[in-house]
Parts: sequence; structure tokens; C-alpha cells
Amino acid sequence: MSHSTVPRSRAEADTPTKTPTASGGTTGRRDTGRQGRIGFWVRLRRDRTLLLMTLPAVLLVLVFNYVPILGNVVAFQDYDPYLSDNGFVAMLQSPWVGIEQFQRVFEDSQFWHAVQNTFVLFFLQLLLFFPVPIVLALLINSVIRPRVRAVAQAIMYLPHFFSWVLVVTVFQQIFGGAGVIAQTLADHGVNGFDVMTDPSTFKYLVTVQMIWKDAGWGIIVFLAALSSVSNDLYEAAAMDGAGRWRRMWHITLPALRPVIALLLVLRVGDALTVGFEQLLLQRQAVGPDASEVLDTYVWWNGIRNQDFSYAAAAGLIKGLVGLTLVLVANKVAHLMGEQGVYKK
Amino acid sequence: MSTVVDRPSLTEVAKKPSPWAAPPRPSWEEEPAKAGLAAKGIVLAFACFAILFPLWIVIVTSLSSKKTIDETGGLVVIPKDITFIAYQELLSGGQVQRAALVSIGVTLVGTLFSMTVSVLCAYGLSRTGSLGHRWILMTLLATMFFGAGLIPTYLLVQALGLMDTYLALILPSAVSVFNILVLRGFFMGISPELIDSARIDGAGDWRILWKIVMPLSRAVLAVIALFYAVGYWSAWFNASIYLTDQDKMPLQNIMIQLVQKQERPVGLTTEINTGQLSALAIQMAVMVMALLPVAVLSPFVQRHFKKGMLTGAVKG
Amino acid sequence: MPLLAACGGSQEARKEGTTSGKDAAKILPAFVASNVVTPDIPSKNGSPVGFTKAIPAAELKTSVPQKLGSGGKLTAMTPYWGTPPKGNNPYYTAMNKAIGVDITWQNQDGVTYDQKLGAVLASSDIPDIVVVPDWNLTGRIPTAINAKFADLGPYLSGDKVKEYPNLAAVPSDAWQRGIFGGQLRAIPMPASYVTGMAAMYRKDLFQKEGYAVPKSPDEFLSWAKSATKARSKVWACDDMKWTALQVFGVQPGGDKALWWNLEGGKLVNRIETPQYLEALEWTRKLYAAGVVHPDAVSGKSGGSAANRFTAGQVLVYNNNISDWWGKTAEQRTQNPDFEMGVIDVFGPDGGDPTLWAGQPGGMFSFISKKASKQQIKDFLALCNYCAAPYGTKEFMLTAYGVEGTDYTVKDGLPVKTQQGVNEVSSTYDLTGNPAPYVAYPDFPDITRGIVEYQQRMGAFTKKSSFYGLTVTEPTRWANLVDDFEQLEDDVVRGRKKISDVQQAVSDWKKRGGDDLRAWYMKLLDDNGSAS
Repeated sequence: MSHSTVPRSRAEADTPTKTPTASGGTTGRRDTGRQGRIGFWVRLRRDRTLLLMTLPAVLLVLVFNYVPILGNVVAFQDYDPYLSDNGFVAMLQSPWVGIEQFQRVFEDSQFWHAVQNTFVLFFLQLLLFFPVPIVLALLINSVIRPRVRAVAQAIMYLPHFFSWVLVVTVFQQIFGGAGVIAQTLADHGVNGFDVMTDPSTFKYLVTVQMIWKDAGWGIIVFLAALSSVSNDLYEAAAMDGAGRWRRMWHITLPALRPVIALLLVLRVGDALTVGFEQLLLQRQAVGPDASEVLDTYVWWNGIRNQDFSYAAAAGLIKGLVGLTLVLVANKVAHLMGEQGVYKK
Repeated sequence: MSTVVDRPSLTEVAKKPSPWAAPPRPSWEEEPAKAGLAAKGIVLAFACFAILFPLWIVIVTSLSSKKTIDETGGLVVIPKDITFIAYQELLSGGQVQRAALVSIGVTLVGTLFSMTVSVLCAYGLSRTGSLGHRWILMTLLATMFFGAGLIPTYLLVQALGLMDTYLALILPSAVSVFNILVLRGFFMGISPELIDSARIDGAGDWRILWKIVMPLSRAVLAVIALFYAVGYWSAWFNASIYLTDQDKMPLQNIMIQLVQKQERPVGLTTEINTGQLSALAIQMAVMVMALLPVAVLSPFVQRHFKKGMLTGAVKG
Repeated sequence: MPLLAACGGSQEARKEGTTSGKDAAKILPAFVASNVVTPDIPSKNGSPVGFTKAIPAAELKTSVPQKLGSGGKLTAMTPYWGTPPKGNNPYYTAMNKAIGVDITWQNQDGVTYDQKLGAVLASSDIPDIVVVPDWNLTGRIPTAINAKFADLGPYLSGDKVKEYPNLAAVPSDAWQRGIFGGQLRAIPMPASYVTGMAAMYRKDLFQKEGYAVPKSPDEFLSWAKSATKARSKVWACDDMKWTALQVFGVQPGGDKALWWNLEGGKLVNRIETPQYLEALEWTRKLYAAGVVHPDAVSGKSGGSAANRFTAGQVLVYNNNISDWWGKTAEQRTQNPDFEMGVIDVFGPDGGDPTLWAGQPGGMFSFISKKASKQQIKDFLALCNYCAAPYGTKEFMLTAYGVEGTDYTVKDGLPVKTQQGVNEVSSTYDLTGNPAPYVAYPDFPDITRGIVEYQQRMGAFTKKSSFYGLTVTEPTRWANLVDDFEQLEDDVVRGRKKISDVQQAVSDWKKRGGDDLRAWYMKLLDDNGSAS
């Protein structure tokens, strides 16, 4: 089908699990099919420049992504950072406590509260945030004046590049107790308007902030999928008497289906991450009851309270559940006949 | 060569008399209903307004005099006068100026470093079948599925002695696997014939990267550089946990102190407390300083976003 | 039983508990009073002494006759509230020269100091000198202090302190607070045990509007309702939680050992008392009535409360009473009519309040264990210099800076210049102080007002069971009460209910509160009560 552009090119992507023969090598020495026959040392000599080039990135990834995984052992300790000047030595000297930190975490009602908030926010985002870029993309796609299109896109992309600090402070200026709305209301005798500190509506506020910041950016992928739909399809449908809406239903939306499925999978896999910086910045204003999610819980207990082992245990729980979610989500995507994030 | 660079808008623009005008619709398409057009226009206009209006207020208030701000009772929507006093005060030395310089420095150095590392790695992985290619790719890809967690990373940075250094703002976030994959996808799309002929002429990999691959990838390089730069410019969390010296804090962190926590900028405390300067104008000026570089730069790279994001989403 | 009891309890190195009585006597420095200038207002009911008159330069005495510093270098990390001065300014140069030690200051934001402290202490690169306020002694910080800072006993215990006469004049109850993990580790900043926290009001605006100062919680609430005019951006008060805790007689919240008091043979924690709930309830009523400034509702406290106060948006706020002088001095430069006053703490029914003594020393200066002997001596030279009493040349330099640059003398009064205001502020004076005093010769009335407020409040002040002791809690319980401050803030703002506090208290008991009670009880049995 011509409209499944994104997944099709995904299939072209060179994922590591793929057989090398199927990949589109780009260089003059396309010897992918007979690599088994070339000796290791010959290949090393041939590719040493390439290996050297990957070295800095690989080192950084190893040091900052892989080594810390080992650091999670503190979750099984009562880690005392002050036992030594050196963190590694302190880790070696700290007593082992088995799974007691995990038991502590599970017994803490605050932890469960953070879990609950995480899921509430996740579902709210799925429900309210997720459709917005699709609608906006359809809208933009239907605009045919090129300059209007470009300007509208430029404006909608803009907030994506703002920091969360800026976004939150901008919202404070509009919706806060001293913001424009409160100011206007106060001029008319209505006092006390302050959405920024209201815990009961906080989850909606957070979602609206997300929409403001990233919904415009989200349209890019959908626009790409839309632009790949052949005009012939529309024309043929129009000839058959299909109206505007019928064309959208039968051609446009099916074209978006794989992208939507893929993004849904990605989102579900990332369900436990619901805006760490954004929530941390507003934790003080609304209190942890409304704003605490798993990530901020780890931050509070670890960095703030220096209870590293406890926080590492909570972080590990989050990491493991998160990994499971990604794998399950991909499995589901495969069952649905989509490509998912990786392939088997 | 021109097939690699994605500039459809240019060719379109060249053909049409005015970019604002609507091109003719295909013959099979019915004329849209007036109501539908109006609704579309309203939604688009609202979306743009919702984004621009808050920025407008911030900018206008930062340019207003204390008198105007006091009369309005806070944020200024309709400008009455324009003064640069807030910017003059902030840029005449002191905390905010220093923080802005820190942010600029970290962004420049960080982006350069990240780009170097990423481009090299992307090129190094762009030839399938090279030694260790699969393993390295897998090592990188795996990190997109899990994070080591905040606490172990923090303890690592501490153990490496990076606390309170600018390196702590750059090294832990220097490599984005996503960005490497985008670059790699692009490099792999470059015509193999070009590279082959260069190789026959005796060019090594360094030369090919520098003389052929990079000039052909300007668009994607611009996009990825912007991504990295925005990342460094916007970052505040790492600074908040790894830095202890107040003098080293970047602009975002100072903005948190000044706007969110309503503190006074160092050096201007007395002037504000005694009513000679408007605290609000100062706060808004700091916000403008934080948003300006991003708002100015990103539209330039905008036309490449689609290509960059798409290859990324696809190859990721 | 707490889950981690098995792992934390038996480690000698952690040095939990406290040191008092005979053990403390062995290491405390001797006390040699200094009487340079007789105070204009003597101490009464535990109040600080007051100096209202400026001393002419010619009559200033010398308390450090010869330079004690060796010319070495030291770095010092201190909390800082507000605007830290630039390094290498004339004041720093003059101080360093006079002390004979080259000190480099690393100022940290005082509001978030606890976050930074943990990180800095865990790194291998600790500044030579670290200043720690007692309210930051949470979590593992006390453990870190015992692990990272030097024992000053060999330099100060008993008569050894006489080498540093200004330190010898520091009261013994302040020194007692400097004992951490069984050793004298800190130079304390002596403080009056009478509360320095006060509700202050805009006297000028009260007079203009014809308001009378409220004398009971109920009166305050009804006055606040009438005085709030949100449309013209005037609110009656800022966050009044601290005042409420005083009014209803709740034990102070800074030092965690003071949260406990022996009542009827049982140790009771402040969070368990009915007074605690009453105080929160009254504060909640203020918020619910809409008389609290909206910025306080959103949790922007700290320095900005005072800013809202001086801007006239808030008529009453609470903070350390030194703001009386600080804010008046700041505002008078632009607004000659600015005047503020202090509201005496009233009881729950408008009668006499019950107040609890704070610790007689609440700010500590430590020196790293890695410091050489010479560096420790340089550190003591610094502290001794800064502890010089009123009426000495050393005091004048420490408090006012260089004459002609940082201050000028007008009509016999030293007046700080703009440069002096910016540069001569809390850096050196955190690292050593004489016995508690108040000295603002530029505003003698305010000096008198502050001392007299503390004298009046001192009459109602009681000492609770762990007064004067520095207690290191077992780390497994050290974070137990950390969430209560947030909970309090949520309750008063109406985000949570009083019943949530009761629930949290019963959770606290289960999660270790009762064990901690037993631990403190044993401590009390072993050491005896201070009161």
C-alpha cells in the first residue's frame, strides 16, 4: 500500500537484528555478504578508522549509560555517602541490606500515591494530548496556501524549543495569582483566581502546558505521513463520488493508522515518564500530593533527602516496570501487524 | 546532489507569483464550504494566538516603564511606552549577565562537542558490515529502552569528581543516540557512487567525511545542531543538582530563582526593594533573554525539521 | 520494628546520641567574660544585651592585640540570603589582612542550602570551612559532620581557649551546642534562647487607617478581614504559620530534639500535641478568609514576604526580628515615613502565651578533618577575630567595614555606604560571634524595641527537655518528620485536612516515631534533662 510510508521505510532501516545482506550498504566496499570469510585482523585493519570514529560516543555511552546501571546496587545497600571521600569506596564499604529498601518503598503510601498520579497523568495525556497533533496536522495539511502553511507551522513549532522553565513561567504570567487573567478578574471584583496553585485542577493544567509546548511539534510526523499519500488515490475516490469527509475517512485516516499505532506504542512504553522537569518545577506551588510522580519521588528521596539507597530502589522499580511496558507494548504492536520500535 | 538537499519550498516559491495566494485546486476537488474555511481559519488563528499572546505580554512588559506597570497593576498587554532600562540594568554586569554568558558558553562548547562526537559516530556506523558495526549499534540502541536512573547517575557524576564543574552540564547529556541515528540515516542515504569515486581517488574516511558527506548533509547537520543547542540552552536540572557555586549557574536556573521564587537579582536588590526599578520588568526581561535565541534561530532551520524528524522517527 | 534497625544500630562510627554533663564538661572551653563596653540595655529573661550608642573611633578598644593568622589560605562555604558580595572587595581585603588569613568565600543560596550541603559533604573536595545552620541538620548531615570535620577539643577545651580571648567569652551553653558526635567540632554562633521570630506590622499604615494592633487570634482574624482590600492590592498578612505556632504554644520547629518534651513522664512530640493542630487550624482560617497575600498562597515565601511588606501589599508578616532594623534602614532611604512595629505574641485566648526556648546556638562553623594544624589555627584566628565584642576595633571592622569606603561617620554615627550595604554582610559574622547582642546605633529606638520585645517574651519562655543539647539521631529515623512541613503548608492552604495530619502522625508512630520516642527517652535517662 502506498500510504504506509513510515513503516515501510522503517523496514528499510538498518536495525541490528536484521541480516546484513538485506541492508543498503553505501560504500564502495560492499562486502556484507561475505564477511564471514574475511579474517578478523583484516577487517580490523580495514575498519580501524571507522571504529576510532565511533569510540568517543561509545565511551560516553558506556560511562554515562552503562556504568550507572551497576550503580543500582546501592538499592540493596544502606549506602552512606560519607563513609569515604570517594563514592566508589563508600559504596564498597556500605552495608548490604538485601531487599529491605524495596520493602520500605512498597510500604510507603507516598510511593503508591506517586504511582497513582503517574498513571492518572499518563491517561489524561493519552486522552487529551495525543489527538491534538493529529487534528492540527489534518488542519495544516488542508491549508493550501504555502506561506500561510509555513508561518502557521513556524509558530506552532516554536514552543517545543522553549525550556520547561520558560513554559512554566509563561503560564504563571497568564494563569497565576498575579497573572493576566487574575489581574483582569480582580479589576472586575473577582479575587483569588490562581490555577497555578490549585491542586484539584493541576492535572489538567499540566496537560494543557504539554499541549501548548509540544502539540505543534507533534504534527511533523503526521504531516510527513499525509504528504506521502498519493493524490491519485484522492482523485480516484473523488471520481467515484466520495465527498470530502468520506475521502478523509477512507484514505487519509488509514494512511495515518500505522503512525498513530507506532506513536501509541512509543507512548505506552514511556508511560511512567510523564514530565519530570515540568512537574518538579511546579511541585512547590501545588504540593506533592497533586504533583508527585515516580520520577519526582525518586528525586525528593534521593537528591533532596540524601536517602540514596531508598531512592535507588524506587528508581529501579520504576525502571523495571518501564522496561516491561516497552516490551509488552512492542509485542502488542507486532500482534497488530505493525512494526513497533524494534523487530524480532 | 540536489536530490539530497530537501528544499521543496524553494522550487515552489519560484514557480508561484505570491506565496500567500492559494494555488489552483485539482479539478476533481470540490470548492470548500465557506463555513468550513472560516472554522478552519478560526482554529488556526486561535492556535497561533494561544502561542504568541503570552510571549507578547512577556516582551511588552519587559519593555515597559515602572510607571506603566504600576498603572496597569501588573502585566502590560497594550504597550504605552518603551524603555530598555530593564535590559540595561541586567546587562550592566551582575548575576543575570554572568548567567547568560555561562549559558551561551555551555551551549556553544556543548553543541560543538556533541556534534563532533555524534557526526563521527554516525559516520563510523554508516557502513554496514564494518567490524563491530552491529554490536556498537546495539550498544547504542539499547540505551533507548532503559535509563540507569537518576540516583546512580548522580552518584557516578559525584564519584567522577565532576560536581560543581561545567563538565557535569555537558558530559552526561553529550550523546543523544536518537540524533546519531538521524545523522547515520542521512549519511547512509548519500549516493555510494560519489563516495566510491572519492575512494578511488585515494581519499580516506576522514577526508570523505569532511569533503563529501558533511557538505551534502548541511540541512540535517543544522537540525541536529539546533536540537543539541536547544537541549543545552534549556537545561536546568543538571545544573540544579550538580552545581553548588551560585556564580556558575546558567540562565534557566537564575530564571527559576527570579521569576518562580520571586527573588531579587544580585546587585539590583536595593533598587527594586525601594521602588526604583520594577521587579516585574526585570523578570520579564530575563524571560525574553531566555526565549530570544531560540525563537530567532528555530525558524531558520524549520524547513529541515520534517526531513530530520522523519529520518529520525523512521530509523530510530 | 523498623526494617533497617538491624543494619544501622551497631555502628560505632555513626556516633548517635548526645554529650552532656561530666562528659561535656571535659571538653567544653573555659568561660572568661569580656567586658569591653557596658551594654546600654542589660540582658533580662534571657534576652540579648543592647547597645544603642555609637562609640567614637578613638575610644574603640583592641581585643586582638596581635595577628593570630599565619598568612595561609582558607576557603569557606556559607549560606547566604540575598545578594552575595563580589570577591576581592576592599572589605574582604581589609578583614583578611587584619586576621592574617586569606579567606575565599563560597556563598550558597541559603534557601536551598540543605540540598547543596549534602552534595558538597559527600564529595572529596570539601571547602576548608563549612558553616551549617541547625535547621539544616537533617537526614545524614549530622553523620557527615561527624565524619568530615575536625575535633577542635585539642585547641579549645578547658583553658586552651584562653589563647583566643574572644572565643573564651562565648557562653558555655552555646559551646555545649558545638559538641557533635562526642567531640567539640563547631564554633557556635551564640543566640538568645528567647524567640527571635516576630510578627511585624506596618505602623505607618496602621496609623493612617486607624487600626489597633490585634491582641488575640480571634481579634486578628476579624481585623484581617476588615483590612484586606484585594482590589487595591492590600492584604492583611502574609503566611502566619510561624506566628500561629508561637501563639498556640507549640515547641519550636528548627532543631529536631526540641520537638520533644517530657510531659507527665512521657516524651511528646510537637506534632502529637493538640496545640499543633490548633495552630494549623487558625492559620487555615486566615487563608480561607482570603486575607493572606496570593503569592504566599502559591508558596513564595522567604525574602519576598518582606518585599511584599515593604511594598505595602501586606500589613503584617513574620520573620526574624532583625528585619525591623534591616527593612527600616533599607526603606528610609527612599521613604522617610516608613515605620514598622512588632506585635507581641498573644496566647490562644488573648492572655499570656507559652513560648519555648530555642537553642542557645543555631549556626555552626566547622573545619575539615583534612586541614593541617596550621590551618585549624588560622580558622580559630578567624573565629576569634569575628567574635570580638561591641566597642572594639575588630567589631567595627567586621560589622561596618572600612571607614570612608564601606561607611562614613555622620553626627557620630557610622552609616554604611551603598558599597558597604552590598559588601559588608553575613559572611565573616557567621564564623564567630560574641554573646548575644543587638547593636544598631543608627536606630537606637529599634535596638531598644528588639531587646525589650525579647525581654517581654522571655518572661513567658520555658525550656523543654532537650534544650541546649546537640542530638544526632540514628539515620534510619532521620527523615521521619521531613514531610510534615509540606503537610503543614498544604493544610493551612486548604489542600489537605487536619485529619490528614492526624493520619500522618499515626503513620509516623508506626514508621519509627514510637521507636524514636524510646530512643530519646533512653537519651534523657542517660543524660538528664536540661530544664
